[in-house]
Amino acid sequence: MQAGLMNTYQHPISSRQTTAWFLSALLTLSYLLLYLGPIPALGVRWDVFQAGAEAAGLKSKWTLYGLLYTLAMIAGGAYVIRRHGSSRYQLIRTSVVVLVQITFGFSLPIVMKVFGQQEYYFSYFWPLKIEYLYPSTILGQPFLILAWSFLGSLVAFPLLAYFFGKRFYCSWVCGCGGLANTAGEPFRHLSSKSPRAWKVEQVSIYTVLFLALVTTAIVWVNWAIGKQHPDFARVAFKVQDWYGFAIGAIFSGAIGVGFYPLMGTRVWCRFGCPMAALLGLIQKFGRFRITVKKDMCISCGNCSTYCEMGIDVRQYAMANVDVKRAGCVGCGMCAHVCPRGVLKLEAKTDRFKGGTPIRVYAVDL
Amino acid sequence: MHYAILGNGICGMEAALFLREREADARITLVSDEHDHFFSRPALMYVFAGQTSLRDTEPYDRELYERMRFERVRLRVASVDAPGHALLFEGAARLGYDKLLLAVGSCGRPAPWPGSPGPGVHYFVTLGDLEGLDREARKGLRAVVIGGGLIGVEVAEILLNRGLPVTFVVRENWYFPLALDGNEAQLVTEHMHHHGIDVRLGVNVEEILRGPDGRPRAVGIVGGEEVPADLVVAAIGVVPNTAFLAGSALTLSKGGAVEVDDALKTSAPDVWAAGDCANVTWADGSRRPEQLWYTARDQGRLAARSMLGDDVAYRRGTWYNSAKFFDLEWTTAGWVPVLLNWDNTPIDPGPDVRSWFQRVPGRFVSQRIVVKGDRVIGFNFLGSRWDHEPLMQWIHERRSLRWVLEHLHEAQFDEEFMPRFRVLPTARLG
Repeated sequence: MQAGLMNTYQHPISSRQTTAWFLSALLTLSYLLLYLGPIPALGVRWDVFQAGAEAAGLKSKWTLYGLLYTLAMIAGGAYVIRRHGSSRYQLIRTSVVVLVQITFGFSLPIVMKVFGQQEYYFSYFWPLKIEYLYPSTILGQPFLILAWSFLGSLVAFPLLAYFFGKRFYCSWVCGCGGLANTAGEPFRHLSSKSPRAWKVEQVSIYTVLFLALVTTAIVWVNWAIGKQHPDFARVAFKVQDWYGFAIGAIFSGAIGVGFYPLMGTRVWCRFGCPMAALLGLIQKFGRFRITVKKDMCISCGNCSTYCEMGIDVRQYAMANVDVKRAGCVGCGMCAHVCPRGVLKLEAKTDRFKGGTPIRVYAVDL
Repeated sequence: MHYAILGNGICGMEAALFLREREADARITLVSDEHDHFFSRPALMYVFAGQTSLRDTEPYDRELYERMRFERVRLRVASVDAPGHALLFEGAARLGYDKLLLAVGSCGRPAPWPGSPGPGVHYFVTLGDLEGLDREARKGLRAVVIGGGLIGVEVAEILLNRGLPVTFVVRENWYFPLALDGNEAQLVTEHMHHHGIDVRLGVNVEEILRGPDGRPRAVGIVGGEEVPADLVVAAIGVVPNTAFLAGSALTLSKGGAVEVDDALKTSAPDVWAAGDCANVTWADGSRRPEQLWYTARDQGRLAARSMLGDDVAYRRGTWYNSAKFFDLEWTTAGWVPVLLNWDNTPIDPGPDVRSWFQRVPGRFVSQRIVVKGDRVIGFNFLGSRWDHEPLMQWIHERRSLRWVLEHLHEAQFDEEFMPRFRVLPTARLG
């Protein structure tokens, strides 16, 4: 068995019992309060988070949110390392993603503000942080940050995803994935593995990617011609606001984190993130895969159960087919929990010997 | 054509899927009284431990039966009327068939000691066993697990995890001599001690002692010692689940397995048997059942082909297996000699057969390579991961020990960043 995963199904909070629903409601409500400030419809007349921040001596509620987020990742990271630290992949990966959050995701932006700079998150890129390729952001930044942003989004990321898979970002750097893989760890088994969930995922995530591309294009066109066409400008600003609210606040925040206890940890990464969509497409043609050891699977289901992205890994293992899925974020947990060592995350051009695919009955691999 | 398959485990399910693939219109019926859905038997320990749900251990979605048009009968078969081509169920119901596959698997070998029958003595093979153990294994009860094999160590682990102090009683002088040598057994035993298991080696059980309430009180061992026990699990192997076949037209082996020919046909017309319950010919010529997940899967596929009229013969390829002792993964491939009899007398592996062995200091990791003359014939690895495919290939290629040691790292299958294999100065050939 896997030390640390035992009794997962006996904890009410990690098995969708009443406390899990309560936690989910609490998290979702917190995000709504954070993003919306006062919600008169719910009888909340003041900005709870802003008031909290000021009471704690912080200027902005976003600093308070960043602090809470980082603390959740540190605590969650310690929890993961205690449970899965016997795997060096899990130990190193968890340490790195927490350190990236502490430095680039929290401290550096604060330091920049202290020195009178506009804050900048060096670990986030377009299209996840869609405004980082908006003309308004670009024109306001020093050249080096501009270069970092452009080269990152358009050159380095596609190359890294091709050679190492999207895990280099989703599981090692990104703060969204970082929270999922630390504080969200007790919920990773709750992701749906059904073929229908996979269909929904494909429609949903590429729709968001499409919206991100369209929104970016509209913002740029508006920058070029908005002054001459005030009607277009009005629509463009509306689109920009709408994307920021619907995708940024509601999907990635309120649903993405709020639904951890109900739908598993990577709700946003799986169904919404445009960066994951883009990197996933590249990964599909790249070198990364999970190699399956031939004929050694005992169909126990630990790999599928603990896949936070809802990939039915077992179907691949039973069929002797290497796993090459756009969704896989390379967290490595399937390989770690496999009691027969059947799975191995790899990024290489060849393998020792080709597997012989056998019949597949449950899903279309 | 109506195919009836008795058993809804890996063997029966593989056969059913194969039959459906070749015959879209045949009627296929799966009969089992254990569960409505095929689940992974080796995963029962994870269900007990709450690491997965029972549903998680079902390899296919539940719509599979409908999609494949498999009919299901959830009844216990009382006997097989082979001349009449029918299954007779308890309660006198009857199901006719044209061709029948017996894939009934195993059940725990009954505990032979006086005092064994009755409450508090468990097995861990079937879903019923799991439910019984799950009901009774409460934190704080003292558990004694009897048997030095793979089920024993799994049961010891899950009971310990639930908070029961566990004494693990092993008849042989070292743990699992069927697959481990003395060095490896010592490593595994240290690992079990490290987790808090009280391992007693070379101990023969004499009887199960019960208190006035009829519950187990202790396990009496030869020599007079009593090991206190509130709960006993007998994990002393499995026997074919074929009691209901007594008196039928089928020929059974002395151990109760269904005698089959190379095409897995039984002595009765239109009846096949495969998996744990079938007596097959091993590579060494002996006739025994192969009680393994992998062979049950392969035999199920082969039995289906045989039922379809293909000219097939079951041949076990190069041996490979894997298991896990607490955190220690074990991979074996090729021929690894058994060195200890059950009565603790040593077995001579034969002339020229030696083992290259090394243990990594400070970690529960070891590698053993069996050579005959200079040729590598088997591998036994503990505590790290290996791809058995290249290992088996090297055996077929008749590679030398030196060549294999130079290339061994290519077969390592550990997670990234784990320590790489290297030959240690302490390695020795003996």
